[in-house]
Amino acid sequence: MAPIIRTQGLRKVYAVGTERVVALNDVNISVEKGEFCCIVGQSGSGKSTLLNQLAGLEKPTRGKVFIGKHEISAMTENELAAFRQAHLGFIFQSYNLLPSMTAAENVALPLMFKGMGRRKRMALARQELKNMGLASRMNHLPTEMSGGQQQRVGIARAFVSKPKVIFADEPTGNLDSKTSRQVLLRMLEMSKKDQITFVMVTHEPSLAACADRIITILDGRVQSDVVQPEDVKEKNRAELAAQLKQIEAEEAAAKAAKETAKAVKKAIAGQA
Amino acid sequence: MKISDLFALAARNLARRKGRTALTVIGVAVGTCLIIVMISFGLAMNQANEEMLASWGDLTQIEVYGGGSGYAVSIGGTTVGGTSDERAVLDDAMIEDFLKMDHVVTATPFYQPYSLNGAITAGNNGRYSTLGLYNMVGVYSDALSEMGFTLASGDWLSDTGNYGRDVIPVLVCEQTGYNFQDTRKSPSSANRYRYYGQTDAMGNLLPPFVDVLKDDLTLTLSNGDTENPKEKTYQLKVVGSINPDTSKGWWTQSSFILRIQDLKELTKEYEELADVDTGSGGSTYDTVYVKVDDMDNVEKVDEAIQDIGFTTYSMTQQREAMQEQVAQLMLILGCLAAFSLLVAALNIINTMTMAIYERTREIGIMKVLGCALGKIRSMFLIESGFIGLIGGVVGVLVSLLASFVLNNLSAILAMFGAGGDMSGVISSIGGIYMGSGSAVSVVPPWLVLLALAFSTLIGLVAGILPASRAVKISALEAIRHE
Repeated sequence: MAPIIRTQGLRKVYAVGTERVVALNDVNISVEKGEFCCIVGQSGSGKSTLLNQLAGLEKPTRGKVFIGKHEISAMTENELAAFRQAHLGFIFQSYNLLPSMTAAENVALPLMFKGMGRRKRMALARQELKNMGLASRMNHLPTEMSGGQQQRVGIARAFVSKPKVIFADEPTGNLDSKTSRQVLLRMLEMSKKDQITFVMVTHEPSLAACADRIITILDGRVQSDVVQPEDVKEKNRAELAAQLKQIEAEEAAAKAAKETAKAVKKAIAGQA
Repeated sequence: MKISDLFALAARNLARRKGRTALTVIGVAVGTCLIIVMISFGLAMNQANEEMLASWGDLTQIEVYGGGSGYAVSIGGTTVGGTSDERAVLDDAMIEDFLKMDHVVTATPFYQPYSLNGAITAGNNGRYSTLGLYNMVGVYSDALSEMGFTLASGDWLSDTGNYGRDVIPVLVCEQTGYNFQDTRKSPSSANRYRYYGQTDAMGNLLPPFVDVLKDDLTLTLSNGDTENPKEKTYQLKVVGSINPDTSKGWWTQSSFILRIQDLKELTKEYEELADVDTGSGGSTYDTVYVKVDDMDNVEKVDEAIQDIGFTTYSMTQQREAMQEQVAQLMLILGCLAAFSLLVAALNIINTMTMAIYERTREIGIMKVLGCALGKIRSMFLIESGFIGLIGGVVGVLVSLLASFVLNNLSAILAMFGAGGDMSGVISSIGGIYMGSGSAVSVVPPWLVLLALAFSTLIGLVAGILPASRAVKISALEAIRHE
């Protein structure tokens, strides 16, 4: 089967002042359809740059990027906009919700750009938010939600139009470890359900360990490109879920202890 | 992306920054208001001028002077067109030519046979008599109604009516009866005369000696020779009377109006009777009236007639001078108003540019999510167009109010008890322009629509630059923008 994402001799050079910084050099990778792919690397390694090239947000200095049969590195801005609208979804580190719109309106945004009527797209957006466990937050503005909730809105927005590929740039970067795990498991589950190819940049090894494919970037070059064996990634995913359960249990216990302490305090106060 | 969604987004974005939008809207409103009020002044001035001109004379009538008989030569003689030998002749054939011109409704000679000697008499033994035949005019019988005259009673003159031998049909005017004098009284006696508006000791209006609509009228031509007097008499049959229209000339008040052919016949009779030659004998005319369908076409027809070689007079010549004056004033006022709109446009540009800086990140998000570039441009253009439109609406409302206040200033001041002194001053100031109490400011519907369209256009044009800027923002940089 032909890969859904493919690069050919990808090179990206930035001019910083008079100096030229090579961010990517001769990157040749491919991602299969339906794969959950993580791009990892130290900060400054060029992993975000790679994602931007793959998503067509930036033009490569040299080389080609294909998504499906389309060479997106050769598209004009207008063609790219239309292509993104039709086939791609995005999740950002800083959520990037429109501050003036409610959660449901934010999720409906890609559908609006596609020209879907308001009633239909709002219904789809609400359904998607329900799936994300945000049924009670649909009419809240981004500022009225926690980071984890905002990112779940962002995820719903990426998934609502059922794109072929979703790109996520450090989606858990601003989240605590519990929420990070929740969000990752949710993205994994949803992309598997709809057979959506998922490309995510992260620097958290425990999250990357759950991916089908791990591409490691070092100094602008592909250091390793590993397709994980089924049993390894299953084990890692189970471990992550277990960790989440444990954190949740700990939190619950802490909460219970707090309540008990409060009750005791109250009782003592009552006695006195 | 649907148009309705674009409009909804634009409206939401405007509503988000109400204060700034309101300020920008006020700028546009002030500019629009100024332009409307300035134009309304000009329109009112033109209207007042037109009313004034109309009271001076019929705006759609052209008087053409020919060099036909006798003394009129000096008037029409030296006009343009051809050499003096082949001077244009104002006769029936020429009137035919006038009638063939575009926009000409009707044309008629205005023939006054000053040389005829005789009188019109009424009463026992011709007791009441006119002094000469000066008040007779000859016209085409069908022209009067088309020129805009109205009948007070009876019927129009007709070419086909059979009135009998030596009977001449005639139309009279409101004051025609006052032409008659009482010949029994001495010329030095005041009782010999009766003029219009004369009252008796009790203040009652005195009627003329002769009721031209009822009494028998006799026209007598005379050779004026006391030794060998020759006379010919005709009966005048009054077919009707017309309402006076002084805008078409004073003659409409007290003339005997005859068919041109009858008057020519009388002239011929008189020439035989008195054995004199009166000149043209009525084949060419001193004056022809040409009626044009609309005053905007008067100039065209006027020029065409002048090109043939006639001297003309029409109110349009006055009208143009006045309009030119108003137009100059308007140009100055309009420039001032245009400047304020220019400032408003700069304001819009500023507001939109600010908005784009603030929303850089949003624009980036929209781009990344696949919003087409054209839609982003449209969204900002709609926003700036909205600002223009709302400003226009506010400006129109304010200027309608201002127009109302200006037009009713004295009444409003009186209502607030500002006293007779003040309102007197105001109305006398207003009187300079208003003439007979017409409006100071006229805002017709087309001006309202034009103002709205113009202010919206200003908004759209002012939005072009900022919108292009929004389109050019790099999506990637925009989403990193804080």
